[in-house]
Amino acid sequence: MSMDMNLIKRGTEGELQLIGYIDASNAAEVEKIIVDLVGQFDTLILDMEKLEYVSSAGLRAFRHAFMDMRKKHGTLCAKNVSSSVMEVFEITGFTRLFKFI
Amino acid sequence: MESLTVPAKIDYLDEAADFIEANLQALSCPDKIQLQIRLAVEEVFVNIASYAYEGSAHPETGKAVLTFTHLENPSRVQISFADEGVPFNPLDKEDSDTSEEAIMARAGGMGILLVKNMMDDVEYVYRDGQNILTVTKNLTGGEDA
Repeated sequence: MSMDMNLIKRGTEGELQLIGYIDASNAAEVEKIIVDLVGQFDTLILDMEKLEYVSSAGLRAFRHAFMDMRKKHGTLCAKNVSSSVMEVFEITGFTRLFKFI
Repeated sequence: MESLTVPAKIDYLDEAADFIEANLQALSCPDKIQLQIRLAVEEVFVNIASYAYEGSAHPETGKAVLTFTHLENPSRVQISFADEGVPFNPLDKEDSDTSEEAIMARAGGMGILLVKNMMDDVEYVYRDGQNILTVTKNLTGGEDA
């Protein structure tokens, strides 16, 4: 499955647009990129408007990013979450990990 | 009834998902339901690929068999996943705790939690040396359909 990303930088804030699918075949790669961005920004916004699908492998990537962000007292935000992806967050309790903007 | 046999390896996830998708496309299945089924297929297949043949004498030859069946009244699909790995009932482990502590500490279990919530029925049997997990999803809209 395919995944694309676009990054917008605004000083200490970064906004990453996630496009496509995050599944077991690409989650490790996505995790590496998001965790790296958590290291670079105090606030990281994940724009999920075009993110169609996240499996538990993708959730583990978000969890890693959240834990690192919490350690540095930063903020992990999510916006424009589709109903399919929100359902995955709600079932697993991952709605707690993001500040929805 | 259609079936697909593939090696129980993550590399075959796309093949397994494509097989199910091709069968679903012949039915007029709403996008949301297709995504839910895609997710269930991934979670179950990845579990088999990761654990079913762990520690077995020949893990590299372990197989997974997916079977797709469409049933009527109400219109629903049944997908079975069979493996010949160690007996393991994934439904035994109740893991619905969604507190922050539980989320942070959880090693696995999220996948099966998603499957249980998104499918209308999930059943496990161990028969003839096989783990068989069968998920059923109604295609006719709401939870009560």
